[in-house]
Amino acid sequence: MLTRTRAFAHTMALPAMALTLFALQGCNSNPPPGSTPPPGPSTGAAPPTGGSGAAAKKTIGVSVLTLENPFFKIMGDAMKAEGEKNGFDVIVTSGDKDAAKQKDQVNDFIVKKVSAIVLCPCDSRAVGAAISAANTAGIPVFTADIASLDTASKVVSHIATDNYAGGKLAGKAMVDATGGKGKVAIIDFPEAESVQQRTKGFKEVLAAQAPGIQIVSDLDGRATRDDAYKAAQDILQKNPDIAGIFCINDPTAFGAVAAIEKAGRQGKVKVISFDGQLEAKKAVKDGKIYGEPIQYPDQIGQKTIQSIVKYMAGEKVDPLQLIPTTLYTKAEADKDPDLVKK
Amino acid sequence: MSDVPNVTKEMEPSRPSNLPALLARYGMAGVLLLLGLFFTWATYHEEKPTGRPGAEALFRSLSATDQQAHIVVVAQQDAEETEFATSLQALLKEGGYAHVSAVQGDPPTVRQALEQRTQAEGAVDLILTTPACRQWTVFDSLKTNNPGFAHTRIEIPPSGKTSVFLSAGNLRNVSDQIAVIAIIAIGMTMVILTGGIDLSVGSLIALSAVLTAWLIRAWGGTGASGATMVAASLTAILACGLVGLFSGIMITQFKIPPFIATLAMMQVASGAAYIVAQGQSINAIPPSFIWLGRGANLASLPNAVVLMLFLYLAAHLFMTRTTSGRYIYAVGGNPEAARLSGIRTKRTLLFVYVVSGLCAGLGGVITASQLNAGSPTYGQAYELYVIASVVVGGTSLVGGEGFIFGTLIGAFIIAVIRNGMNLTNVEPYKQKVALGLVILGAVLLDQLRRTSSQRWSRRKDP
Repeated sequence: MLTRTRAFAHTMALPAMALTLFALQGCNSNPPPGSTPPPGPSTGAAPPTGGSGAAAKKTIGVSVLTLENPFFKIMGDAMKAEGEKNGFDVIVTSGDKDAAKQKDQVNDFIVKKVSAIVLCPCDSRAVGAAISAANTAGIPVFTADIASLDTASKVVSHIATDNYAGGKLAGKAMVDATGGKGKVAIIDFPEAESVQQRTKGFKEVLAAQAPGIQIVSDLDGRATRDDAYKAAQDILQKNPDIAGIFCINDPTAFGAVAAIEKAGRQGKVKVISFDGQLEAKKAVKDGKIYGEPIQYPDQIGQKTIQSIVKYMAGEKVDPLQLIPTTLYTKAEADKDPDLVKK
Repeated sequence: MSDVPNVTKEMEPSRPSNLPALLARYGMAGVLLLLGLFFTWATYHEEKPTGRPGAEALFRSLSATDQQAHIVVVAQQDAEETEFATSLQALLKEGGYAHVSAVQGDPPTVRQALEQRTQAEGAVDLILTTPACRQWTVFDSLKTNNPGFAHTRIEIPPSGKTSVFLSAGNLRNVSDQIAVIAIIAIGMTMVILTGGIDLSVGSLIALSAVLTAWLIRAWGGTGASGATMVAASLTAILACGLVGLFSGIMITQFKIPPFIATLAMMQVASGAAYIVAQGQSINAIPPSFIWLGRGANLASLPNAVVLMLFLYLAAHLFMTRTTSGRYIYAVGGNPEAARLSGIRTKRTLLFVYVVSGLCAGLGGVITASQLNAGSPTYGQAYELYVIASVVVGGTSLVGGEGFIFGTLIGAFIIAVIRNGMNLTNVEPYKQKVALGLVILGAVLLDQLRRTSSQRWSRRKDP
């Protein structure tokens, strides 16, 4: 009998644990502090209508590429803040670079009847399915940072860094860093349309301004630190005389810097990055990264929400809105107030 | 655990013999039910109807004095809102309302149309619209900026209360989201029942999706016929079955541990997918290819879900009613005893890895169909969700114990948690923590149950 009771207790352990979990979750489902309460009639002592009251409250659903990269975290936070100013509840989810997961998130947004959806596509073509579903449900879709390449579905506006012009700035920085000659490598992430624009601009400037530079290697670093580290090690192994590496984003650059330091080639291999994360700015100040065009994820986030607000007010919104980058080198880093404080 | 009578006991998988086992089996269904109840409660809120019911409710709420009012019906262009606009217009016409017009479109279109209308016909007294359009700020801005709207009333259908989670649309959504993982979990259940594991299924999704898309593009592109698409899909599924066969041969003939053999095939399949796709996604396929992934031909159930339910039924019958199905349990329970009692264990093992490969291949075809494109990035880390579904569903990682519908329940538990957390706005980072803890809790429960049920059976037959 004792055994039976114990087994019963064990069987009930999971439901109990699950309930605990949801107690924790209930706290999280509240709207961010300071957001305005829904204007609709009060539901009295009803369930946590806070975050879930989709129809009563104006909600924007966001699915970013990944939250591993601080870029998207900053962008998402800026969207939340800007949304709050305009009376929107902004839900930020992460597609985790998985097109199917992102499609599921969009379907969840549709079920919730959000007012608008913002996507950073995990796959520029496969995202078409999700956008079409939102189109059918009458929910406007905006893309931020990464564009959709699907032609059958409709996006109201694409708000992104001017990656092509940024790539050109990176190319210019590389010409400066290497003196216009020598071997150069790219640590790439060719799946992303935004990265394709960057490398295009980069290569064009090199071809036009520095015929002495030879691009010897173009490897995929998956836009992550660990894969880029391995790619950089291989580049350094194969090309002992490499003069510079263009890394398509900051995590890639951190991987490359680590590989260069491990090989003891600091200062001899110039790293050009692309992003402008705080850690990278410090690395620019310390001379580990020569320079990089910096993006403004906060501006992208703000502009996206502002575009949604404009669209909802019945104003015309440009289908393509580009945010320019600026080149950040040691000269800028030495004057940067963000770095002096720390 | 290692004596022969024990094997025969474990060859009776469908009949739980004592209370703890019974509770453990249906305990999982209880967890699913609790989760459902919780999310039903958490997503219960004001819901404003649209479509025809919304139009009727809104019509009933109008007063008789509105009959001479200048009314504009505003809606978006999707099917539900169009239904709202047309039904409401018809109702108003029948009801003797004299001045009714309608505008449909996105906010800029509506704004333009409303402004033109007031210029031509004068002020608007009443705008009847849907809850979605009411969220636009168009009307508020018109009210302040355009004298033609200064005294306009804006009405939407009166609200009722409902749960987003429990809505038919969302329940379809949940089953649609889990179909791929649940189908692959059928094969994985068989593999895990034999005491093995298949880590290659995630990569096989990518390989199958890419192969299907690539073959369709090669055999006809966007103009490919239905038969071509079926042939391409079957070829891709078969290719994944062959990969499973290869893993099986490595495991049975060369005694490579399943973990290592399938880990290697995971790399091979992923690399092959990238090679075939040349690192890009392939979407030069006909739009009709979405039939399997997005169509809904039977009682508005998505086709992928119908297929999933059919496969589960077939797998259940196979596992409980056929000798080959029972062999899988026997091999997992005690391979040596199974071999001694005349079961061809190697053949059984080969079979389960082929089935796992085929299921993953089918999962890949469905994914490609849902997204109308094939990409080598699909399916990353899916093997973990699949294994979690199986284990949460009560199948023991040691082998020999488990049942197929448990896996379906396990898959649904994971889907409901993911969907529910999205609906209740749980942050992505916290979602990962919660999901991980639930999986851990399930395995812990399995472990506790095993020790207590062993104690139970020891008591019963000393």
